[in-house]
Amino acid sequence: MELRVIDKSEAELRIEVAGEDHTFMNVLKGALLEADDVAAATYDVNPEQSGGQTEPILTVKTESGDPLDALEDAADAITEKTTALSDAVRAA
Amino acid sequence: MSEADFDVQYIERDDRSARVLIRGLSPAFANGIRRAMIADVPTFSIDTVRFVENSSVMFDEMLGLRLGLVPLTTPIDDFEIGDEVTLALDVAGPGTAYSGDLVSSEPLVEPADKNVPLIELKEGQRVELEADAVLDTGKEHAKHQGGVSVGYRHLQRVTVEGDLGEFDEEETRILRGVIETEDGEIVPTEAFDHDLSERYPGKEVSVEDVPGAFVFHVETDGSVDVEELIVRAIGTIEERADELRTTIAV
Repeated sequence: MELRVIDKSEAELRIEVAGEDHTFMNVLKGALLEADDVAAATYDVNPEQSGGQTEPILTVKTESGDPLDALEDAADAITEKTTALSDAVRAA
Repeated sequence: MSEADFDVQYIERDDRSARVLIRGLSPAFANGIRRAMIADVPTFSIDTVRFVENSSVMFDEMLGLRLGLVPLTTPIDDFEIGDEVTLALDVAGPGTAYSGDLVSSEPLVEPADKNVPLIELKEGQRVELEADAVLDTGKEHAKHQGGVSVGYRHLQRVTVEGDLGEFDEEETRILRGVIETEDGEIVPTEAFDHDLSERYPGKEVSVEDVPGAFVFHVETDGSVDVEELIVRAIGTIEERADELRTTIAV
């Protein structure tokens, strides 16, 4: 996974997440949208049908706080879920 | 938010196939797991073949393809992606070469099924080869897919609304999947021939999806068992979340 920041301001972040596909991006987007201070989150795997570019680009807007922190929190939230779910599956 | 509220219940369970009800999932997460089970859990598969002799009716390439499709047992803990295991085959006709004739150099990695026919050999025909199996993911090539026919449906809640009118005609109501009754009983629709009018004769019923409850149908090719596949799939998502976190931190 390689990250490349395309655009960053106080409340908005556009970042390329190289090497990922819908499997992880949609989970990440879902986790971002569940956070309270995230105003909008989306990703695009073929931005503007640009020539050959197929690495997903994630866009995050926050209501308050740094979008990078929101991203980090979303990663934490995913880990928390996966750990709980693995345990639940093993226990069943 | 306390999101970590999952409930996992096996409806049917076998080594290679199962139906699992998982509650508390978001649709995005459910689909992430499904996709990961298909494309991101690695299994061993033959990738390179060195032929010593092939006097059969098939070209080397055709045999190579068929060998690649043989599921091999994969203890994922003991190997890393890219690791190789060598197998050998030496069969002379008349007779059929089966996957069970493959001799592995590693007892942990061997054909999951012994009865996959590779080629029929006539008198005087012979195949001798050495093959390297490599550990990789379904994303790389479909032969590495551990999960075959992996999918999910919503759990459906059936509520009895009341009796049918005296002169109403009873109509069949076909439903597939798994239902939850009003008493919280989980019933696969096979139990009543997929027809709600069989289970609730003379009743008017309504059906709705249960939010966040997914019934996964998981079937593996034998390289890993069902639980392993699910846990691994969840693990690959976790790995990526961890990777994202460390990459952000840098």
